[in-house]
Amino acid sequence: MLNAYPPEENWDDHRALDAKAWPRRVERRFRLVPTTCFNCEANCGLLAYVDKDTGKIAKFEGNPVHPASRGRNCAKGPATLNQVEDPERILHPMKRVGDRGEGLWERITWDQALDEIGERIGRAFREDRRHEVMYHVGRMGDDSYMEWVLHAWGIDGHNSHTNICSSGARVGFATWMGFDRPSPDFANARVIFLISSHLEAGHYFNPHAQRILEGKENGATIVCIDPRLSNTASQADHWFSAWPGTEAFLLLAIARLLIENDTWDRAFVERWVNWQTFLAETRPDLDPVFDNVGPALLDHYAEYTPAEAARVCGIDEDRIREVARVCGEGLGGFAGHTWRAASAGNEGGWQVSRCLWFVTVLTGSVGTEGGTNANGWNKFIPVTPIHPEPQGEWNDLTWPAEYPLTHHELSMLLPHFLKSGRGRLDTYFTRVYNPLWTNPDGFTWLEVLADPEKVGCHVALTPTWNESAWYADYVLPMGVASERHDVGSFETHNGMWIGFRQPVLRRHGELEGESFNRTHEANPGEVWEEQEFWIDLSWRIDPDGELGIRRHFESRESPGTPLTLDEYYTMLFEGSVPGLPEAAAAEGLTPLEYMRRKGAFALPGDQYRVYERDVADADLAGTEKDALGVYRRPGTAGSYGSLDEINGHMPFIGDGSPAVDIAGEAKFGFPTPSKKLELFSETMRDWGWPEYATPTFIRSHVHWEDLDFAAGERILVPTFRIPTLIHTRSANSEWLNEISHRHPLWVHPGDAEELGIEENGLVRITTRIGHFVIAAWRTEGIRPGVVAASHHMGRWRLDEDKARSWGAGKASVEREPDGRWRLRREHGNQPYDSDEPDTGRIWWSDTGVHQNLTFPVQPDPVSGMHCWLQRVTVGPAQPGDAYGDVVVDTEASHAVFEEWLAKTRPGPGPGGLRRPLWFARPVKPKATAYQAD
Amino acid sequence: MTRLGFVLDSGSCIGCHACTVACKSEHDVPLGVNRTWVKYVETGAFPDTDRHFSVMRCNHCDDAPCMAICPTSALFRADNGVVDFDDDNCIGCKACINACPYDAIYINPATSTAHKCNFCNHRIEEGLEPSCVIVCPTQAIRVGDLDDPDSEISRLFASGEGKVRTPEQKTLPKVVYKGADPSTLDPLASAIAADGLIWADTTPAHSTPTPVALTAAPSRDDGADMARTVYTTQHKPTWGSMVSGYLVTKAIAAGVMLVASLQVMLGHGSEQAAVGVVPPMVAGAFLVLTGALLVGDLKQPRRFHYLLTRGNRTSWLVKGAYVLAGFAACLAAWWIAGLADAGGVLLLLVAPTVLLALGTAGYTAFLFFQCEGRDLWQERLLLPVLLAQAMVAGGSATLVMDLFMEVPETGAVKVMLAIGVVANIGLVAIELRRHHSRHVTMALADLTRGAQRSRFLAWLLLTPPVLLLELFGPVPSALGGLCALVGLFAYEDAYVRAGQSVPLS
Repeated sequence: MLNAYPPEENWDDHRALDAKAWPRRVERRFRLVPTTCFNCEANCGLLAYVDKDTGKIAKFEGNPVHPASRGRNCAKGPATLNQVEDPERILHPMKRVGDRGEGLWERITWDQALDEIGERIGRAFREDRRHEVMYHVGRMGDDSYMEWVLHAWGIDGHNSHTNICSSGARVGFATWMGFDRPSPDFANARVIFLISSHLEAGHYFNPHAQRILEGKENGATIVCIDPRLSNTASQADHWFSAWPGTEAFLLLAIARLLIENDTWDRAFVERWVNWQTFLAETRPDLDPVFDNVGPALLDHYAEYTPAEAARVCGIDEDRIREVARVCGEGLGGFAGHTWRAASAGNEGGWQVSRCLWFVTVLTGSVGTEGGTNANGWNKFIPVTPIHPEPQGEWNDLTWPAEYPLTHHELSMLLPHFLKSGRGRLDTYFTRVYNPLWTNPDGFTWLEVLADPEKVGCHVALTPTWNESAWYADYVLPMGVASERHDVGSFETHNGMWIGFRQPVLRRHGELEGESFNRTHEANPGEVWEEQEFWIDLSWRIDPDGELGIRRHFESRESPGTPLTLDEYYTMLFEGSVPGLPEAAAAEGLTPLEYMRRKGAFALPGDQYRVYERDVADADLAGTEKDALGVYRRPGTAGSYGSLDEINGHMPFIGDGSPAVDIAGEAKFGFPTPSKKLELFSETMRDWGWPEYATPTFIRSHVHWEDLDFAAGERILVPTFRIPTLIHTRSANSEWLNEISHRHPLWVHPGDAEELGIEENGLVRITTRIGHFVIAAWRTEGIRPGVVAASHHMGRWRLDEDKARSWGAGKASVEREPDGRWRLRREHGNQPYDSDEPDTGRIWWSDTGVHQNLTFPVQPDPVSGMHCWLQRVTVGPAQPGDAYGDVVVDTEASHAVFEEWLAKTRPGPGPGGLRRPLWFARPVKPKATAYQAD
Repeated sequence: MTRLGFVLDSGSCIGCHACTVACKSEHDVPLGVNRTWVKYVETGAFPDTDRHFSVMRCNHCDDAPCMAICPTSALFRADNGVVDFDDDNCIGCKACINACPYDAIYINPATSTAHKCNFCNHRIEEGLEPSCVIVCPTQAIRVGDLDDPDSEISRLFASGEGKVRTPEQKTLPKVVYKGADPSTLDPLASAIAADGLIWADTTPAHSTPTPVALTAAPSRDDGADMARTVYTTQHKPTWGSMVSGYLVTKAIAAGVMLVASLQVMLGHGSEQAAVGVVPPMVAGAFLVLTGALLVGDLKQPRRFHYLLTRGNRTSWLVKGAYVLAGFAACLAAWWIAGLADAGGVLLLLVAPTVLLALGTAGYTAFLFFQCEGRDLWQERLLLPVLLAQAMVAGGSATLVMDLFMEVPETGAVKVMLAIGVVANIGLVAIELRRHHSRHVTMALADLTRGAQRSRFLAWLLLTPPVLLLELFGPVPSALGGLCALVGLFAYEDAYVRAGQSVPLS
């Protein structure tokens, strides 16, 4: 009877009754332009309702043809409207006129910004200071565009936020299967096993929540491991509040029970796991026959009994047995996920994902219906239509020798490396990234960002003011979800899709007959988009083409002029997305027009058990089968003489071997050296960590048995997310901040009693480098011994009237005589007058505490992942403490950095390489760049 | 026919607040108010802790108290059974907010009119589902037709599996909850702890029983432990001093005329100034003040005449307006007869004047009865209390008037005042001693021991002295009368506020 959305054929002229005028019937005319959300990573579909009379976006709803979000959104989707209309957003390019951090700015033109920054970078390139140009990204938005740009520039200048996010989980997955991310098929699962809060937070939570609930409806058992009661935990059949850092122990106990109960998928393991290597390496005393694998595993994991797991994890033994039984009954249907949480919290956290995948493997659930796929088989990254050669450079600031196995750059160590004299930056772009606020040890970032000797020029590409942009030299406004182009794809379910983000008002204007040279002509103010910016900037870097850069950004249709995005996307969608040209033709559209009209495309085909696919003989030509049945191709990373040979033949993941022999058939396999799932990782063994070659429990840096509880020590979980907010981008949404604006410290009432903390009382949390003062929230929803505060809040601004948001309080930053930094909260949120009446209706004042400032960097020695959990001392506030106070000693933080650095086992690894060639790496360089000096 | 309702599936709700934001976007709902929101409640002790979610909004009741009380039919029943509203008719009297047992209605600060969920009827009209329905990631909000016996919502009702909020209000709600924990549906089954909410500030207007209320009524009706509200929204009380003041001014107007009628009955109709002219002038002045307070409390004061031109006759605001108008007419006639020194006419006017004075004093009881959300105001003794208060107010005012002119039969007036005082205090005492629902117990706790304690005490201290002071000369008597009037205002203010102190959501 009722529909969710207007029919697609009406999207260009949708007539709707005005909600405010109702019950008077006032008709409004809209054009519905699809785009994708730019808040979390999920890229859910949005439909922008452009009011044809005002030419403005009236609202955002979901895009019903989007394969992942299916027309539905979380709170952050419709809240995009707030970000578009935010009264405090940056509308014009700004250049600093006072000292860094002084907050004095002048408005400049885009031309001036491009000229000045382009000239600077061009000079650095000409002077062979390529590694001094760095692009540091928070939210990517697009999967491959920057690889094209950076390859064209010939620099190893990519930096990401990943090692404060997911490096840990990635290493654990990648060492099993090459792919670094899981893709659970929740909708069809029998067991949904979450070491995460994917029903309410995290990437893809909207698409995942949809499918988790479908699975639940179909009878799946939901297991959630989390020290605190998340919304996800509250909907789970089993909530295990295990001691933080013991999750791997629990998983290994479950794995062992599966084998002990003989409820494991022996056939799958025999077929797809490198058990021969496992036996040879760990039990040379046994015959290399599969029947020995079970007993060998039971021996190998002898200490992981349910009783010991119950003791170590602090949970009920019977429930461990019960969950193991459920997992054993649901063979093939184990959909497990961990992404940040424990993997991002603990030293050795990467083993949490490795152990979770162990259970996935034992239950035979890899890539099955209802099981867990590899992200690479559910995520589609189109190849950019222009392929400059990869860079021949290796940037030690981002990929230091100490961390050969890290997944993604050691971005959070950048300021310490700069302080240690490992290099300097000439031009540093931050892109939708706020390192000073988001990273641990923000005061060290502040010191470095404020120092022109270390960072010559900081260009902040951001839709809104933030703490880091305040210390920039240029602040260049870049669009939000409806103001930019990007192509993104994520592994949300069984299937592959791409989503297309587009500048909505430009699209609308063009359909109305207007024409635009650049997107900033159509966006609010002069807000631009990065993709056009990079093209224009590349022209200014290399105005005469002598650097060989400009040619990559030149129009193919009109040589001598910059490439347009229409041309770029025409090439991309025609040439790089299987099935799209055919689908478009079926509707009488060009592929680009198809994407502009629909905003998303589901690639045809099923993605279950991709590894079982047969490999055609033609693809095996020229290969040689090795002793373990892997078809190796000469001149690839799997089989090469010199690195020069494989330049140009480096796949994104894997060593280039096309197949593996399984029972006499050439199968697609996994992109690992063995082409199988690696229970025993020879890479770990060869790169310095033989003791971690198999799934292992590593005792966390916050392991509870090491804590002195009587002295007030507790484990702080400072990372959890809540459904409405997303890092620092959501501060500019009034609706989201109205719902959530405080992050009190969750503490169990028993703990509060013991620690002398009163209801809503102020608490001082002392870390190794300083302390912060926060308010208590006593709850039965957290494990005694653990305290937690969501990471979202604690935003601040230094100027009363500038850089305001719905979530930033006014603060002051000063350096005390003893050298310690102090952030003091002057006041929280207050109503103020603006063109937006709602700024006068702000009714809340709390804006939280910037706790990350007090965390030293704690890079996991293997994965490089920042170990977010903190061993802290918790007690009532002390005289003179005020809510929101933060005090930090950055000398102490540098000492902690050096301490953690000393835990590493630096490369080079085998062959004098900086990193295994088969590992994935963003903006992967030429093979020769892997050779250590 | 179609009778639309919502199925709110708490078993699928993940507490993500997407519905809240989609609704804000669709209807441009300002900060501070909500048409729909998600309530979080926590139960149990670690590690058996649980968190429950329930979406809160208008219940589109088949017997909607908001429609009955709305004086201008701004709230109306749409053909599809939805309770919709028309901004153009709303005078902003806020009666609907007190009539609604679900905290569903608010005054939109941008329009100064009453708003609430209207089922996105502008979308329904065009065959589209409401915004909250389409946005929900887990499809936990579903539209159903109660006139279709095969619909999910009908089956949930029929099987008893579906639960509704406060069924005892008998409003016939059409929003049914599936899998909701009882603690989220009963507003008195959970409270915000001193630590506040999980991720929002707690203001005094956030829905929770106060600690004092909980001391008075600690045990849940279902015997379970009190749960903890960890997320909810604010609902500011809408009636305050203007309404309390209106109760006093009209009590004075009515009471003064009751005294004047008494004088006429006692044969003093010929006392032109003290009976014929001044009382209707004083009563008239207070009646004008009453009207001014009523209009002044409207969020759309310029639309006050809608009460008459667009009047909804089921509303006691409208009926009350008729009573006040009739009383005003009576006062005018009295005054003219007084000027004409026509004592005989006054005798004829006594009966209608007494009736209309009692109506003026007492109709508010029926108005308050219509406030289904305020159980304190539903108590049956309200009518006699209001009448006793009119006697107190009339007697007291007359004793003050006695300072400026010669009031005949002051003895009788003092007796009437004394009866009023004793009756008023006695009736309140009876009310306080009776057994009540938890809601009323909490409201009474707020009245006597909670936020209204000082007002209540002021009334208790300021009212009885007149019984003693009136035994002395005119000045002490007038002073006693003044104290009683101030006390009366304190009581009305306490009563009006206490009635609104109990959370509904």
